[in-house]
Amino acid sequence: MSARRPTDNGMADDKTNSTSSSAKAEVAVEAPTHAIAVPIEASSQRKAPPPEKPSDIRRRTWVILTFWAIVVFLGLPIWWKTTTIYRANLPLSEMLEWADGKACRPVFPLRINIQAGPLQEQEAQHLVRLTQHALDDLNDFSGHHLRLQLSSPSSSLTTPASNDDDNGAALTIRLAPGESTTSALDPYAPILDITYPPNTIPSPSSSSSTLATYIASQLRSTFAEEQATISYLLSTNAAAPSGEQLRPPGLTPEVAESVSKRTTRSLKYSPTYHLTFSLFTSGPLPSSWDIEAAIAEYMEPVLKVLGPIHNFTIDTQVQLYATPGGVQSQVLNKEDLSSFINAAEWPLSPSIGGAPTVNFIVFVGNQTIGSPSETSEATSQSWLIPQWGTVYLLSLPHDTAHLTLPTLKQPLLTFTSHLLSLIGTPQSGSLPLRLSTLSRIRSADLLLRASSTLGSLARLSLALPSISIPSSVADGVSKTMAHLRLACDTLGGAEGLAHARIAEAEAERAFFEKSMVGQLYFPDEHKIAVYLPLLGPVGVPLLMGLLNEIRAWRKRRRERAEKAAEKKKE
Amino acid sequence: MRQYFLSFLLFLFASLSLCVSSVVAADYHEQLVLRPLPLSALLASFNFRSNTSLSEFEAHNFRFFPRSLGQILQHAGTRELHLRFSLGRWDAESWGARPWDGAREGGTGVELWAWLEADTDDEADKKWRTLTNALSGLFCASLNFIDGTRTTRPVMSFRPEGNHPNSTSTNTHLLYGVLPHEVVCTENLTPFLKLLPCKGKAGIATLLDGHKLFDASWQSMAIDVRPVCPADGECVLEIEQTIDMVLDIERSKRPRGNPIPRPPPGHELLCDTSKPYHADDTCFPADYNANHDWMLSQIFGKNMKGICPLTNPSVPPVCLQVPGSRSVYVSNGVLEKKNADGVSRCFEIQPDADLEMVLPRIDPPAEGEPAQSVEVQELVKPETPLLYAERSFTGHGQERGGVQTILRNPSPDSEVEFIYMETLPWFMRIYLHTIEARIDGQAGKQNNLIEEVYYRPALDRARGTQLEVRMRIPPASTVFLTYDFEKSILRYTEYPPDANRGFDVAAAVITILSPDTHKSDKRGFAAYTLRTTSLLCSLPTPDFSMPYNVIIFTSTAVALAFGGMFNILVRRFVAADEGPEVSISGLKQRLRSRLGKVFERLQQKTKEVKVQQKKD
Repeated sequence: MSARRPTDNGMADDKTNSTSSSAKAEVAVEAPTHAIAVPIEASSQRKAPPPEKPSDIRRRTWVILTFWAIVVFLGLPIWWKTTTIYRANLPLSEMLEWADGKACRPVFPLRINIQAGPLQEQEAQHLVRLTQHALDDLNDFSGHHLRLQLSSPSSSLTTPASNDDDNGAALTIRLAPGESTTSALDPYAPILDITYPPNTIPSPSSSSSTLATYIASQLRSTFAEEQATISYLLSTNAAAPSGEQLRPPGLTPEVAESVSKRTTRSLKYSPTYHLTFSLFTSGPLPSSWDIEAAIAEYMEPVLKVLGPIHNFTIDTQVQLYATPGGVQSQVLNKEDLSSFINAAEWPLSPSIGGAPTVNFIVFVGNQTIGSPSETSEATSQSWLIPQWGTVYLLSLPHDTAHLTLPTLKQPLLTFTSHLLSLIGTPQSGSLPLRLSTLSRIRSADLLLRASSTLGSLARLSLALPSISIPSSVADGVSKTMAHLRLACDTLGGAEGLAHARIAEAEAERAFFEKSMVGQLYFPDEHKIAVYLPLLGPVGVPLLMGLLNEIRAWRKRRRERAEKAAEKKKE
Repeated sequence: MRQYFLSFLLFLFASLSLCVSSVVAADYHEQLVLRPLPLSALLASFNFRSNTSLSEFEAHNFRFFPRSLGQILQHAGTRELHLRFSLGRWDAESWGARPWDGAREGGTGVELWAWLEADTDDEADKKWRTLTNALSGLFCASLNFIDGTRTTRPVMSFRPEGNHPNSTSTNTHLLYGVLPHEVVCTENLTPFLKLLPCKGKAGIATLLDGHKLFDASWQSMAIDVRPVCPADGECVLEIEQTIDMVLDIERSKRPRGNPIPRPPPGHELLCDTSKPYHADDTCFPADYNANHDWMLSQIFGKNMKGICPLTNPSVPPVCLQVPGSRSVYVSNGVLEKKNADGVSRCFEIQPDADLEMVLPRIDPPAEGEPAQSVEVQELVKPETPLLYAERSFTGHGQERGGVQTILRNPSPDSEVEFIYMETLPWFMRIYLHTIEARIDGQAGKQNNLIEEVYYRPALDRARGTQLEVRMRIPPASTVFLTYDFEKSILRYTEYPPDANRGFDVAAAVITILSPDTHKSDKRGFAAYTLRTTSLLCSLPTPDFSMPYNVIIFTSTAVALAFGGMFNILVRRFVAADEGPEVSISGLKQRLRSRLGKVFERLQQKTKEVKVQQKKD
């Protein structure tokens, strides 16, 4: 088509070459008109180069193909191999399943032994059946399941403690005939004593019984707090990704609030806690205290009881000339309490070694706390700082140089009760029950925490495609999932807690892998700066060569086709 | 009756406990020693020492011993710890011997050495890492950068100061690390003061202020923790905190709000009256402003507030070393006690009194008296140190260099035996065969000066050079100790951001052995310690845009070679009049035709649209 335009005349480009011989003739006719205008051009009339030898053409094709073969089969793989980021394969979907709570439905099957005492075997069986029915009717939360069983008469002879070890019962109910229906929790062992008047024993034919309903309601109230806490934990975890706070169906707002208060107050679970007892005074006195004896006297018993769940290390210090931060008024109100801890000057650095530190501070000074009714936890002398510790204000005569054991009694007792709530012990029930509940709550908590860490890791690796994932992370993830599975299967027991603990530690280690953070930021401008100087000058000739070759190849094909057509015509 | 008895018992108990606490209070003492030095300088040595019994320490009950440090020591299994933060240079030529015989000072930057309890070297290294990391957090210093390349295990230079009854040489490891580049500043002083039982709130510590301390000509903060076992009684762990500073009196007297130096008005100029041309209108300034009057609050910027109530009452909190004849005025509630030696006096302070001290100017000598007597009246003549040391680089160029240390024994009659220790970074590769010592004024090297050499060569990027040389210098002579080294070229990422500044080389530690050294007594080991200044070694520094330059340069070369070769292989060569013609006019025409085509097509389209619209 270009041949029709006179302007294209002088250009001996590919198009004129590619036109057929008849078109060339047309150009030749029109050419002289322009040749007059440009006499110099006319004198150097363009000559067509001699036709190329086919062997040359073939060789050029080979050369270009060879270069491209080297680029594609050697260059690209090397480039890919050397610049690729190692991303270990993570089971993303499974991880997200754990995070969404689909992989494991935490179920706490609690076994409750009933020692029927003087009752007939059959009567007792019937009573148990009825109570179980009543319990199932009352229960609206499937994760927490109470299962009654009649303990064999032989085991009733053994002590409750060994009984506990034998079959893992959470509570033992001791039935005894009495004047009226009463119940009482044993303060030292997980035993619920229930007395009943003889006439309340259900006959084998009856389908309901007041005694059974009574036992069921007693059991339910005993475990109400634990159930509320666990269902709260589960609901907050499930709602966490979507951001909305769904209230589980069985919880009233008041209960949910108190449970959330308690869970935010308690420290993160750890097998070991450091307890730091500090005596702070704003002046030079007192400078010594009988803290060792006081701890041994007032705190050690509780620490011993907590022994199976947590270890504790203790250190003490005396700090003089420690002025509190914030407002220096004598009556502290709620706002002052938050700024009372003078973080800049008080040496309250957390202990080294990884375990969290619980701080207990005795502050000698004549400050008092105003309006204690507003903050429910603060008495007039002490207040609890969530996840951190307790401050106790002790006012003393000015010249006291030494704090004696009796002076330290009240502070230490306060610390002890605050310690229990700081490590998340529920508030109702007898101490052994509270502790066994604590271990169940902790395992649920750890399980959920590990799952949500897995979910975060999965989301992170999806969100940042350029982050490298070393194999140690994949390792940690697989270990976490294995232990989570084990923990999920053995929830409620000591084994479950151990597995949940390992799972949580592994998940944290995988998430906070150091090398993953290292080269997160490698901007694209750098890549351009590195690649462009090489790829530009090398790539352009390669590409142009290839394009020219393709064009020439197509031209040759067309010519051949035309020749063939001409031959046919002839 | 019974009530009486009870109250009596209570009283007894209370008084007993008071007694107990006052006895225990002797576990802490603090003292400040002030000593005016020549050239209008003032040396202030603060010393704080507290004890805790080892059993209390192991039970984690901390009273005067700081908990934050105690925990670190326990966690890292440290038996004895020495930490130094120093700044500036001690001018031995004019100030004389160093305070504490040099035992409480370090080289410029941060220095740390500790005896750790460990069964193997690897375990010791691990504990050392824990220790440096924890201390780094506690003192806000970059101690965590003391890695393998900056850690050595000195063999001859250090001996433990404390008593280590249960330790053997196999389970205690001495590690020594030094950071000459670290700039010591206020953020290191604050945690230092926090370790004191009275903080900075009472006693001599109230005088410590970052503005003055780090404005000093020379200062050194030291922390020493060591177990001390008295012959009778229980072993105690002693922590000693020391701050020595040399203040320039004139500079310190500048008002705080107006610190810019200005020429003094004419009547305040100190003139050298011995000049013949001295008159009312001509003044030849005196060499240095000797004969200063100063007040404590002027020098330190504040008063000393009371005394720390925990301190041992038998140790006077403040002492001053000036000739006994010099008059000193003190504030109310302060009792002056002159010591028998005639060159020092101490001050007893009432618990709630503030200390203010005024040293008035000494009246100029009467006509005809020699001017020197003022100086004699003003200060105690400084002691001559046992050895003077100076270290400097020799050589030129970016490849090789040398180190020369000039050691001078000023004593006319006794020789000095000492250990010279260098810890050099790995990129200074020393040639041990070039190490030589020669006496000034005598030709050739002297083989008998160097008695023993301990040398641990460097490993690239893993370990620094450790060189310990035991030498003996004859009386009244100067010795040149020299060696050569080669500078290696670092990798691109190993250069710090301020690479052109140079690399700091840690001070050499010179431990002078006391004459009866061969007894392994801890006090008898080192008679005097001194450190040279640190050096600044400049390494060949690359241009840091280098990688991109290299990329572009090699790319250009590759592109040239490749492009040429590729075109030769691929293009066809024809005669000039046979090939396609390339000229600017041709290109223009081509461009115009293309544009014209596009334009035409556009016009056509708009026409079509218009036609369609009309149809609609």
